[in-house]
Amino acid sequence: MMARFFPPVILLLLVAFQGINYLFIPVYLTNQGFTVVIHGVFVFLVLVTLYYDLESSYYGVLYAMIAGLMMDIVYTGVLGVYMFSYAITIYLLHSLRKLLHVNIYVTSFLMLLGLAVLELLLYRIYTWVGYQQIAFTDYINERFIYTLIVNMVVYLIFFVLFKKRLLTYSTRRFEETKFKN
Amino acid sequence: MSFFRRKRLFTILLSLIILVGLIGFSISERNQLSSVEQFIQDGIGALQQVVLTPVTYVAGVADNIDEMKNLYQENQVLKENLSQYQQKVYEVQELTKENEELAAMLGKSESITDYEPIQASVIARNPDQWFKQVMLNKGEQHGVTKDMAVITAEGMIGKVQSTSQFTSRVLLLNGFDRSNRISVNVDLTDQTEDAKGFILGYNEEKEQLVLEFSDYYDEIPVDEVVFSSGLGGVFPKGLEIGTIEEVTTDQYGLTQVAYIKPSAALEGFNHVIIVDRTMPTIFEVEAEEGSGEE
Repeated sequence: MMARFFPPVILLLLVAFQGINYLFIPVYLTNQGFTVVIHGVFVFLVLVTLYYDLESSYYGVLYAMIAGLMMDIVYTGVLGVYMFSYAITIYLLHSLRKLLHVNIYVTSFLMLLGLAVLELLLYRIYTWVGYQQIAFTDYINERFIYTLIVNMVVYLIFFVLFKKRLLTYSTRRFEETKFKN
Repeated sequence: MSFFRRKRLFTILLSLIILVGLIGFSISERNQLSSVEQFIQDGIGALQQVVLTPVTYVAGVADNIDEMKNLYQENQVLKENLSQYQQKVYEVQELTKENEELAAMLGKSESITDYEPIQASVIARNPDQWFKQVMLNKGEQHGVTKDMAVITAEGMIGKVQSTSQFTSRVLLLNGFDRSNRISVNVDLTDQTEDAKGFILGYNEEKEQLVLEFSDYYDEIPVDEVVFSSGLGGVFPKGLEIGTIEEVTTDQYGLTQVAYIKPSAALEGFNHVIIVDRTMPTIFEVEAEEGSGEE
């Protein structure tokens, strides 16, 4: 039971939390004119892909699509943007995971890569749809770098909180299915 | 490389097509959200309120402790102000009474300045700050409809962009563009006529609103207050929007343009008032077309 529902429930909570994430952003960064976005949902999705999913299962991608669609509906009203970016980035990480042996260094690297790809994808899509007009260099200086740093801190917190649980639930769940078959 | 196998390429192409379709669907002019969107928005909205209650409580306690330090000084200043206000209150009372009497004489019961306030709280902000939006905990069930103005005690902060049954999404003033203009008046002190114009959008660099005047006015003093005129057919008259900071002409030198500093802070507010205009709005009139009413 718990093994099956743990990731979706946490994801739902994190989607709800996205709306008050601004409370956790360091004030001195925003005061200096930097824009920081906390991608709590995405960080958790990456952990799910790396520690919960098997190499042959694609729950991370599925959750990414559902959580992304919810983010679109609740926060922006422009459907498909988060859904697409989340799903593509998680899918990319899932493919890369097959090539690399998962340990904390690889996870950190994949997390950084994923966050960078996600941020750039979101920037590209919103530019293309016409919702923002910030120049690329401004974007990199004002948003990109600090967003990556803050989200890596979020990642470390989430790693401590969720890694063990995800691993135990993963073995419990997928062994169950093995026995049933 | 196995990554570029044909099946994967196909999936990626398919998802790109879905992306384009969904974006196209959602940025087309829609009057109402689909029921699926409303359901999810309400569900997450309820969850957010549950999550937010302890957070705001803790933040409130911290704020209170902070405020207690300045309590004494503030009290002194407020007492001084209060004595000055007493006189004003009397004047205002007299004026309202007179105004009511005059309106009664003319047989005018409702005016374009009247509105029904709907109190609401902010339950979420747009997490990626590409969009200047906040979510409120009041929706269609509480009488909120699309395009209503949203104000705080200091002035206007935005308008309702979309609604679901129990929540609504507000577009803040700093996200306004040419597709959501506000018709405004500027109170010119030494002339009887107000200056008229439109708010065209928001200048990101100056962090000020752009006002374009529809006529040419000789003298527009800086620091003059800008109000909504109600002539756009959606907002009531007299909502304070901001003060003029700078008057110039546009890039062709043909029309007068002013930059306006919004009166209300567009960040850090938690409680707002949604303004339901008493006079029928342009949308209500369109809906009741044919009944012959004004």
